[in-house]
Amino acid sequence: MGSKNKKIGIIVSLALVGGALAYLALGNFGENLVYFFTPSEVKAFDSGYYQKKVRVGGMVVEGSMEAYADRLGMTFELTDGEATIPVTFEGIPPDLFKEGQGAVVEGFWTGQHKFQSNLIMAKHSEDYMPIELKRAGVELPRKDFMKSLIQ
Amino acid sequence: MIIEIGHFSVVIALVLSAFGIVSSFLALQTRNVDWVRVGRIALTLIFILLSIGMGSLIYSFLVRDFSVHYVAATSNSQLPLFYTVAAVWGGHEGSLLLWVFILSAFSTIAVWLHWRTQPAIMPYLIGMECLIIMGFLLLILFLSSPFDRLIPTPADGKDLNPLLQDPAMVMHPPMLYMGYVGFSIPFSFAMAALFSGRLGEEWIKVTQRWTIFAWLCLTTGILMGGYWAYYELGWGGYWGWDPVENASFMPWLVGTAFLHSVMVQEKRKMFKVWNLFLIIVTFSLSLIGTFLVRSGVLTSVHTFATDPERGLYILIFVATVIGIAFGALILRAHKLKSQVEMDSMVSRESVFLFNNLFFLVAAATVFLGTLYPLMVETWQGSKVTVGPPYYNTVFMPVALGLLFMMGVGPYIPWRKASQASIKKNFLVPLAVGLVSTTVLFALGIHSVFALAGTFVVGFAGAAIAIDFGKISALYSRRESSSLLKGAFSAFTSNQRRYSGILTHVGVLVLVVGIIASTVYQTEKVVSLKVGDEFVIDEYRMKLERIHEVRGKNWSAQEGVFEVYEGDHLLTKLRPQKRVYDASQTPTTESAIYAKNMGHIFLTMPDVSPEGVAVARGVINPLILWVWGGGGIMGLGVLLNIFRPRKKDE
Repeated sequence: MGSKNKKIGIIVSLALVGGALAYLALGNFGENLVYFFTPSEVKAFDSGYYQKKVRVGGMVVEGSMEAYADRLGMTFELTDGEATIPVTFEGIPPDLFKEGQGAVVEGFWTGQHKFQSNLIMAKHSEDYMPIELKRAGVELPRKDFMKSLIQ
Repeated sequence: MIIEIGHFSVVIALVLSAFGIVSSFLALQTRNVDWVRVGRIALTLIFILLSIGMGSLIYSFLVRDFSVHYVAATSNSQLPLFYTVAAVWGGHEGSLLLWVFILSAFSTIAVWLHWRTQPAIMPYLIGMECLIIMGFLLLILFLSSPFDRLIPTPADGKDLNPLLQDPAMVMHPPMLYMGYVGFSIPFSFAMAALFSGRLGEEWIKVTQRWTIFAWLCLTTGILMGGYWAYYELGWGGYWGWDPVENASFMPWLVGTAFLHSVMVQEKRKMFKVWNLFLIIVTFSLSLIGTFLVRSGVLTSVHTFATDPERGLYILIFVATVIGIAFGALILRAHKLKSQVEMDSMVSRESVFLFNNLFFLVAAATVFLGTLYPLMVETWQGSKVTVGPPYYNTVFMPVALGLLFMMGVGPYIPWRKASQASIKKNFLVPLAVGLVSTTVLFALGIHSVFALAGTFVVGFAGAAIAIDFGKISALYSRRESSSLLKGAFSAFTSNQRRYSGILTHVGVLVLVVGIIASTVYQTEKVVSLKVGDEFVIDEYRMKLERIHEVRGKNWSAQEGVFEVYEGDHLLTKLRPQKRVYDASQTPTTESAIYAKNMGHIFLTMPDVSPEGVAVARGVINPLILWVWGGGGIMGLGVLLNIFRPRKKDE
C-alpha cells in the first residue's frame, strides 16, 4: 500500500468514526430539547402540544398548595400574573419550593388542562423570579436586594 | 481603610501589567536583555500587589466589614470562620480576583523557574501573561470590583448561600481555577513558540509538568464538585450535565486530548499544528468556562444583557485572546509541516489520533449542548434546555471507545505493528474481556451498558496487568529479588510511563464505580412516622425519633434512623432538615453509611407539623470506587510530576 493510500485510509476511517459519533449526537438532538413557556402560553396550547415535555416557570400561588393524603406529591397553582394553571406533582419538591416564590416545573400539559409534573426546580435567591418570566415582560412584586440589606 | 489599600494595589498592578507588555515589546525590538529583566520585575510586583489586594479582601471578610459591598453580599456575622474565607470566592467579583491572583502567582513562578533555561522565550511569556492579567484586571476594576463600599453600612450581611457552606466548596473553586490558569503556561509557551518561530518540541517538553499539573487541579476540582453535588444537593447523584458542570468539563476534555497528543510530537515529531491548536482551544475553553459560569449568561442571555457593558467586555476580551492565538497559528502553519508521515493504521500514532478524535467529539457534544440554548434564545427568543439523554447517548460509546484504546495504545508499537505482535499482546486481554462479560451475563446482569463496560474494562485492565506483570518479573529476575521489589524497580525505571498507566488504572476503577452506581442504584421514597420502618434492598430503616439540633448559624430537625441488616443493627443515620438563620433558607443534609464500597444514602427532605417525615433512601453500590479511582488518578499524576528528572529534560 502506497503512502497516499494509507493517508486516504486513515482520513476515511477517521471520518467514518467521527461521522457515526456526530450522527449519534445530532440524530435525536431535537427530541432532547425541552422548551420553556409561561403559564399564559401553556393555556393557549393547542392539542399538538399535549403530552410534550416542556418547562413552565411562574410564581406558586399563595394558599394553593395541597399535599396528597395518601401518597407523596401535591397540587398547586402556577401564575405569571395573567394566567394561572393547575399543577399536579409527584415526588419530593426541592428545599426552596414555597408558596409565593418562583419555580420552574417540568412535565406535560394534558388534555384535561392540568399540568402533570415530576420535576420542580426552585432557585435559592429570596427575591428570585424565573428569569424567563422577566423576559416575557412579567412584573411581579419582589423584594429589593439593597433594601433587604439595609433595612 | 484596609480595603482601599487593596484596591489601590490592584490599580497599580493594572498599570504594571501594561508596563510588562510594553517592556516585552521593547525587549524584542532592542534585543536588550535589561528590558526582559524589567518585565520580570513588573510581573513579580504584580504578584505581590495582587497578594495585597487578595489579603485586604480576606481581612475585610474576617473583621466582618459590612461597609464593603461584596462582604455584605456574601457573608454574615454568624458565618463560621472557615466559610468566611470561602465566601471570598463565593461570588462573581471575588472569584475573578482569585483567578487573576492565581494567574499572577503561576506566571511569576514560571518566569523565575524557566529564566535560565529558556531566555529566548521570556519576553513572549511575560508579554502574554501580562496581557491576560491586564484583561482580567480591567474587568475587575471597572466592571465588577469587590472593593466598592456600601453606604449606608448595613448592620449585618446577607450571608453566603447555605449550599456553599461546605468543606468541598471551600476548595472547589480554587482547584478549578488552578486548573484553568495552569493551562495558561503551556498556552503562553505555545504562543512564544509561534511568535519566535522556535517551533520544535521544546515548548512541549518544558511545559509537560505544567500541563499535567493543570490537568490534576482541574480533575480534582471537577471531582470535588461532583462529590459536593452528591452529598450536599441530596439527590444521590454526582453529575447532571448541568451547564455549570459542562463549562469545566470542556477544557478538561480538550486538555486531556492535548496531554496525550503531545507524546506523539515528542516521540515522532508529528501533530505539530494539531498540538498548538489543542492548547489554544484548551485555554480558550478555560476562559470561556470562567466567564460562562461567572457572568450568569448560562441562566439566560438576558441576565448577561442586564449588564451589557460587562457582557460586551468579556466577549471582546475572549475574542482578542482567541484571535491573537489562532491568527499566529494560521500565519505559521506553513512552517509546521511534520517531516514524518504516518506509517500504518495499526500503530500507536493512529491510536493517539483516534483518542484525540474521541475527546474532541466529546468536547464538541458538550459545547453544542451547552451553547445551543443560548443561540436559540439569542436568535429565536425561545428558551430551551438540552436534556441529559442527549449527552448520555454520545458519551457511552465515546467512553467505551476511549477505555478500549486505553488497553491498546500503550501496548502497540510506534510506526507499524506486526500481526504477530498484535496476537501476542492482545489475544489474552480480549479473552479476559469476553470471559468476564460472559460470567456477568450468566450471573444475571443484562444491562448493555454494564456488559459493554465490563468488556472494555476487563480488556484494558488485563492488558495493563499483563504488561506490568511481565516487566516486573523481568526486573525481579535480573535483580534476583522478590516480585514486589521487581515491580518497584520496573515502575521507577520508566516512571513517566508507569505513572501514566497508574492514572489509567484509576480511570478504570472510576468507570467501574460509575457503571455500578448508575445502573444498579436503588431508590425509595416513603413518608413515615416515628416508630415506622421501611425496607430498601437488604436493609431495614427504622425512624427512632425526630429531634431539634442547633448549629452555629442554623437549626435543624434531625431524624434518627436505625439501619438494620437482618436483625443486626448496622448504624444510626442522622439526616437533617436545616434552616439557616440569616437567610431563612432550608437545606436537606444527607447522612451516609459506607458498606462494601457502596453507600447507604439517606435524606429527610420534609417533616410535616404533624410529625410525618418524608425519607429518601438510596443504595449506591461501589460508589466509593468513583472517588477511589479519582484518588488513584491523582496519585499517578503526582508520581509523574515528581519523577526524577532525566538528562534530556
